[in-house]
This record gives sequence, C-alpha cells and structure tokens, in this order.
Amino acid sequence: MLREDLLEELKDARERYEAEVRRILTTVPGAREEHVTFSGLVVKPLCTPADTAETDFFRDISFPGEYPYTRGVFPAGYLSRGLHIRQVAGFGTAEETNARWRFLLSQGANALSVVPDDGSGNRADSDDERVRGLVGKGGVALDTLYDYETLFDGIDMVRYPCHLITTSAYALACYLVVAGKRGLSFTGLRGSMSNWMRPEPECLDIMEYCAKNVPLFNAGYLDMRNVREGGCTAVQEIAFGVGLAMSGCDALVEKGLEVDEFLHRITWFVNSGPEFFEEVAKFRALRRIWARVFREQYGARDPRSLTCRMHCQTYAPTLTRQQPFNNLIRSTVYALGAILGGIQSLHVNSFDEALAIPTEFSASLSVRTQQIIDLETGITRVIDPLGGSYYVEWLTNRLEEEAMALIDTIREMGGAFKAWDWMCREIRKASYRTQEEYDTGARLLVGVNTLVDDNDIQTRALEVLREHADFETLHEYSAALAEKQVARLNKVRRERNPERLDGVREELVETMRAGRNMIPGLMEAVKSGLTRGEFANIKAGVYHQPAEGPYVCRPPLVLA
Amino acid sequence: MFADRLWYWLERGGAVNRPVKFLLSRDDWYHQRGYWVVTTAVRNAGMEVILGGIQTPAEMVRTAVQEDVDIIGYRIMDAAPGVVIPILFAKMRENGIENIPVVVGGIVPDKDEVLIREMGVKEVFQPLTPLSTIVERVQTIALAARANRS
Repeated sequence: MLREDLLEELKDARERYEAEVRRILTTVPGAREEHVTFSGLVVKPLCTPADTAETDFFRDISFPGEYPYTRGVFPAGYLSRGLHIRQVAGFGTAEETNARWRFLLSQGANALSVVPDDGSGNRADSDDERVRGLVGKGGVALDTLYDYETLFDGIDMVRYPCHLITTSAYALACYLVVAGKRGLSFTGLRGSMSNWMRPEPECLDIMEYCAKNVPLFNAGYLDMRNVREGGCTAVQEIAFGVGLAMSGCDALVEKGLEVDEFLHRITWFVNSGPEFFEEVAKFRALRRIWARVFREQYGARDPRSLTCRMHCQTYAPTLTRQQPFNNLIRSTVYALGAILGGIQSLHVNSFDEALAIPTEFSASLSVRTQQIIDLETGITRVIDPLGGSYYVEWLTNRLEEEAMALIDTIREMGGAFKAWDWMCREIRKASYRTQEEYDTGARLLVGVNTLVDDNDIQTRALEVLREHADFETLHEYSAALAEKQVARLNKVRRERNPERLDGVREELVETMRAGRNMIPGLMEAVKSGLTRGEFANIKAGVYHQPAEGPYVCRPPLVLA
Repeated sequence: MFADRLWYWLERGGAVNRPVKFLLSRDDWYHQRGYWVVTTAVRNAGMEVILGGIQTPAEMVRTAVQEDVDIIGYRIMDAAPGVVIPILFAKMRENGIENIPVVVGGIVPDKDEVLIREMGVKEVFQPLTPLSTIVERVQTIALAARANRS
C-alpha cells in the first residue's frame, strides 16, 4: 500500500506525463493506436506505483512457495526443481513412438508425454473400417496392453514422469499394469494424464482410484491449453478451468472424498501465446486465484492442494505454413512467457506443426529452445523476475478481477458442469472474434496478413532441405504403419484366452453397472487381452452412449 | 418414378434462390476451432450449415443425401487425406451424389493437397485462410454445381 502523500504527488506527475504522451501521439505521424489483448484488456503503455496502490505485498504477492503462491509454487523456483522439458510424441505404432521418446531423452528431455491417435480410448480398434486413415496418424495407435508394453520398453517409468494425453481409463489401466509387471510400487509412481474434469463416471473413477492407490499420480487435469487452442481468451482459460475444478471437487466430495485427498493431484495444462505480458500475468493470477478459491471456498488446508502446478504447451493457432521458420521465433517468445510466468513443465511447438507431425529434426530444436533459455541466459536463475513490475502486477490484478467475475457467473449458473454448453458458446464467440481480427488486420500475423512474401525464401529453403537432407524434414503418413498396427492387434487377439477374457469382461460390466470403481476390473481385463475398442463397446452398453464417426462410444465431453 | 423426378425438377428449378446448404463434417473430435469459426462465417453469409459433427465418409454421405445438400465440407486434421478422400468419393458414387462438390479444410500437407485436388476436391482451405475467401468459394462452387445439376 502506498502512502497518501506519495499517491497525491504521483497523481500530479502522472497527469503531466500523460498530457505529454498525448501531445506526442497526436503530432507524430504513424504513432501506434491503443492495443487490446485477446482478453479484451486495453494495454496501459505505462504503469506507476499508483496502478498497484491497492496491492498488499504479503496478502497479494508474498514469497515464492508461500500463500497465495503468486510468485510460484516452489520456494526456490527453478533453482531447486528445474524445468521439465516434456515434448509430446505419438505417431505410427508404439515402436515408432518409443524410438521418438528415446531420441528426445537423448537430446536432454527429462519428462515424457504420449499422444494416442485417439485421446479418448473410445474409438474402434485399428482394424475397423471406420478408422481407416486415422490409425497412427494424429498420435500413436494403442489398441492393447501389448502396445503399452512396447511403448514403455526400456523407459525408466520412475525416473521419467510420463503424461498420458488421454481421458481414458483404458490407458491408465495399461500404464498401471505395465508398471506392476515391472514390480514398481504404485505409491512411488509419478506421472499424469489428461483426465480433465467433466461430469462422467470414467473421470471420477480415475480420480478416486488414484487418490487411494497411486497417490503421486496426477490423475485430475484441467486441459485449458487445448480450450485456448479452441479460441478462448486468457481470462476464460483461468475462469473455465477453475470452474471445472470446482465442479469436479463438488462431485468427488459427494462421492465421499475429502478435498485434501485429491485436490493436489489435479494439475493444469496451460497455454502460452503471443500476448506476452498477458500470459505472464495469467500464470501469476491463476496461482493466486487457485489458492484463494480452494482455501476460502473449499477449506483445503494441505499446501500441496493450494499450489497450482502447470504444464504448458506454446500456442499453435499462430503457427503459419507461410515462412515456416518464423515459427521457431514465435514459439521461443511464447516459451519465454511461460518460463517467466513460472510454469513447471513445457512443450515448445516445433516449427513444422502447421504442416505435419514434428520430425526428429524439428523436435530437437524444440528441446534446444528450452535448454538455451534455461542454460545460457540466466533467466531461470531468478525467481519470478517480473514480479514487482508495476505493469505485470497491475495486469495480474486485472486478470484476477476479470476471471473472478466470470467464475461468479459460472457459479450462478449452477457450476461449470451445468454451464458446459454456455462455456462452449462463449469460446466459439471469442474464437470467431479473433479470426475476424486477423482477417481485418486488427491483429497482425507476420507472413499471413502483414509482411506477406510471395517468393518466400523460407519455404524454398525447406524444399531444398527436403530434397537434400539425409534425415526426415517433413513427416508423411505411412499406410505401412497402419498395417503393422493391425498385425500387432491380431497377434493379441490370436494369443489371448477367450474364456478367461469373457469371465473378466462380465465381471467388469457388472462392476460398472453397479456404479463401483471400474479401474481394478479394467486392469484385470487388459491383462487378459481386452482391446480399447472392446472396452469402448462395454462403455456404450453400460452408459448407453453409442456414437457415430470412428467412435464406438461417445468421445468425452470437450469444451473446444 | 415420374412423380419423383417431377418433384426433383420442381424443387431444383423452382427454388433457385434458396440458400446454399452446406454439410460440414470433421474427421475427429478434438480441435474444433476451425469447424466452428467456418460454421459461423458461412451462416453469417446467409447459407445454411448442416452440422455433421464427427463422421466417417459413409455417414457424411448418408447425411448429404438425407439433407439434400449443395456442397460438402470436410475438416481433415487427424486423418490421412489421401486415404479418406477416395473412400468419401467411392461412397458418393455408390449413392449417386458424385456431382455434389467437396471442399476440405484443416491440416493438409502440400503433397496431399495436390493429390486430393487431382481426385476431384474442389478447394482446400489451409489454416488462416480469410473467412471472406472461404465464404465466397463455398458459395460460388455450390451455386455452380447446383446450376449444372438442374
């Protein structure tokens, strides 16, 4: 808080200063107009102590690792616990993805992430005609336990925490069975999965099972990064995520769990995009809101519950096909925003992601981007270096206000689970607005609506590389890998014991119908050779939600 | 049979000004930003959008027939364009709607773009194509095809 006399003095000085700026801007030709962030906040070109006069250091900012955790969740920031370099991998069969993992680790990645070709586990098996052209394309094909065993082959599951990009209980069951077969104790198993908060039995079963049996596994997830990709604003990213966590908490408390039993196992997946300072402020505001909401409204007491931990992937909608190497620079700036904002774990998009699945070449550059920031620049040696900046603190406050207002709106609608469709519509409105901004040139994108180059040297350079490099420079879909996957699936089908499978399958169906936790039965079933498509069939039968498209059973609810 | 044909003719010829009907389907469930942005833009331009949602090529053709659409839009991101487009065209021929134009948007590598254009895809909209371009092309292609059919 500022002293009254200083505030008065500041007010006069500020008025003089602003008059001078207005004079310059009206007389200088080509002076820039006011800038509005994705969240609709008008950027203040200069802030002074008067803009943060209401901020109380101990109440609102405090020290890193201390409530309300604005400055970070660990007291020593990246000094004690370095950045997790975690690049997504997933294409072809488990063998190809395992090889990519090994490559990423050889480059210095220290955490793993896998994207299956079906993030829901609800899709038909790879030999079904409905999934032709989809197998192993947008991710790795994982049909059976055998695929998961191949995926983790030679990978130290304890040393390298792995994230499963899926909402699927099937994937979790396979992961746990693989760990179990290696004799690993579930209590020491770290890792996480994209089990985002949603009103579905599968989500809550995963949370409940892990809270009791796999205590260090981050079983709950707020996948706001991909909602942001879907076009929501930074304010919506915070508010909708916190809203979903609140609804998930309500549902789990109703199931008989205590908040502190599971809250610390809900982690965030966040985005970091072009609006640099808004992103830095967003991470800071999010940590503060999380701590305040769950302490004040949910009575969480465990400090681990109140610390909002985040994995970040940089923003992709602004990655361009035009002048593709520009994406390296974009993603580097976005990564810097994330690191200055104090995230725990990071994926930096590769420059070719607007063209195809990243290659080893482009993925290694993503790893190196993080290492250069971490090792060469000194940036990670300072904790919350932008804390105390008048502008960043002001923006942090503004984002908190806007997000809290939105959280209140959602609460008035009966919580995020009930407000689901409303949130979808709000996100669509925001994404349409953004596209209009790009179309009209109100928001600039180099190579697309400004600095367009019809004789683009970068595209030509990439073509030359593709012709002359003795390594893959642009990923291409392989029909042969899809065939290989079908062969892997058929091997499992041939070798499993049908009677044993029928027995465990019936038991699983019974458990699910009775509303008991599906995970233990599912683990037995995957051991007996149950495939993901067969599990999806079981879910369709039990929950009566058969689906169209490549899906046997409806994909999970998704905001964007 | 004759009545059917008469009705078909009357409907096509008698309603020249009815808005273009655009079926928009997608290959997979995730990352729907373009799907909704395009839907909104096409609707704002006065066309009618049938939301196919996540559909296999066979399901798209079924909807296209039921809804009697003028043009089919296919959001391809997770699927291999070179695999799913031939399946779509085969199903369209089986159902006698091969004269309905198909446009594609999403993540389509250059090689695949050339390939599916050769197969008969009328337009491929790459990421960040201005909405006005998409609207104009959809309208033009749909009306040209409608004129050819009547």
